[in-house]
Amino acid sequence: MPVYFSDHEVVLPGQLLSDNGKRSGEGTYVADGKVYASQVGLATIRNNRVCVIAFKGAYRPQVGDEVIGVISDVKPNGFDVVLGKHLTGVIRIPDRRKVQNLGLRVGDVISARVKESSLRGIILEHTRRMRRFDKGLLISIHPAKIPRLIGRRGSMINMIKRRTGCRIVVGRNGLIVISGPSPAQEFAAVTAIKEVEREAHTQGLTERVGKLIDSILKGGVR
Amino acid sequence: MSKPKLITEDGIRTDGRRFDELRPIKMEVGVLDKSDGSAYVEFGKTRVFAAVFGPREVHPRHLSLPDRAILNCRYHMTSFSVEERKPLGMTRREVELSKVIREALETVVFLEEFPRTCIDIYIEVVQADGGTRTTGLTAASLALADAGIPMADLIAAVAVGKVDGQLVLDLNDIEDKYGEADMPIAMAPRFDSIVLLQLNGRISKDEFPRALALAKKGIMEIYKLQREALKRKYSATPQGGM
Repeated sequence: MPVYFSDHEVVLPGQLLSDNGKRSGEGTYVADGKVYASQVGLATIRNNRVCVIAFKGAYRPQVGDEVIGVISDVKPNGFDVVLGKHLTGVIRIPDRRKVQNLGLRVGDVISARVKESSLRGIILEHTRRMRRFDKGLLISIHPAKIPRLIGRRGSMINMIKRRTGCRIVVGRNGLIVISGPSPAQEFAAVTAIKEVEREAHTQGLTERVGKLIDSILKGGVR
Repeated sequence: MSKPKLITEDGIRTDGRRFDELRPIKMEVGVLDKSDGSAYVEFGKTRVFAAVFGPREVHPRHLSLPDRAILNCRYHMTSFSVEERKPLGMTRREVELSKVIREALETVVFLEEFPRTCIDIYIEVVQADGGTRTTGLTAASLALADAGIPMADLIAAVAVGKVDGQLVLDLNDIEDKYGEADMPIAMAPRFDSIVLLQLNGRISKDEFPRALALAKKGIMEIYKLQREALKRKYSATPQGGM
């Protein structure tokens, strides 16, 4: 199947990527049966689909994503959850008593899974895998950098968790909750994550971030 | 002031160009820190910044659309951009240009990707020497791409006009003022579609296709420079593993 790019080539909006319109993936669109890039990013093939891994851009919720948000409103039939700059998700609960049982209040930070993302809005699951954070630091990074923070099969995030001894929950929307045994360890984790965000495109990053964490925990730096 | 001579017998224009030559062009992407995407474009002495914010929440909320984002566009000339100080605030001309630029950009941006939000585009002309709307549009499309907003194609724009009876590309201020016609054109080059075309003055039916061809030639050159500017920003960074 012919494609018009080499793997991980930088492509621009409007660039022709493939003649087969059925292979259009993320960051691309189809016109006249052909696949074109719609964002600036690296072109690659995932699951036999032509994709563009965008360098920048807003988070677009996909069903099944794990996201972190802040409760912004409590209603009789559910909650509104702020998921970042421009997104508000909702949790719908038909039973009023259950809303009260959950005990969520405005300002609470929760993680939940996206059940539906459509014209009706972003609907979050409340039955499974929803949890409230009682303590910890809430930080935000650019959503486009989240895959790098997680790393190949979680290599990056697991390394940060291991070395800092912190519990870290990463939301696809760019919000992250960190809670650790001591402020120093939490600080090390925050610094490491910010470093990943800044240096996401460079090579040998996992190793360097590991060293950075070690030097902070030894009390050497800043 | 009486009309100056705009083209010499050798076919040289006031700034030394031939009829089909663009001014020296400079483009840079990602010049402003606080915006989500930005660009700076220079066509000779015309200098323009564009900044993109969003997608973000719409204020007031009732203006938001349930199925797509709204595009806000503000084309503005700084008070020091022209010879005689321009008063602050939007003139009628600026309001109109904001509208036509917005409509041109709406044709390529995939607004339906971000329902209930807005994307704000600010185009600030810091120095004006003709062709500010085309330069602004060129910069705005770069800033949108830089912000990571999905779009079908970049937009490149240039003006053609008639000066001393001759069709010329990329008018500057004097040629615009004393020439017979000024026709700004913007295109999405990938699909060969015209997204903006205005005409001030008169050109004949026979001249129009020739003017269009001249503009297309200029647009392809600008498009190439736009792509180079974007690649320059992003290719400088080596690729990391995902």
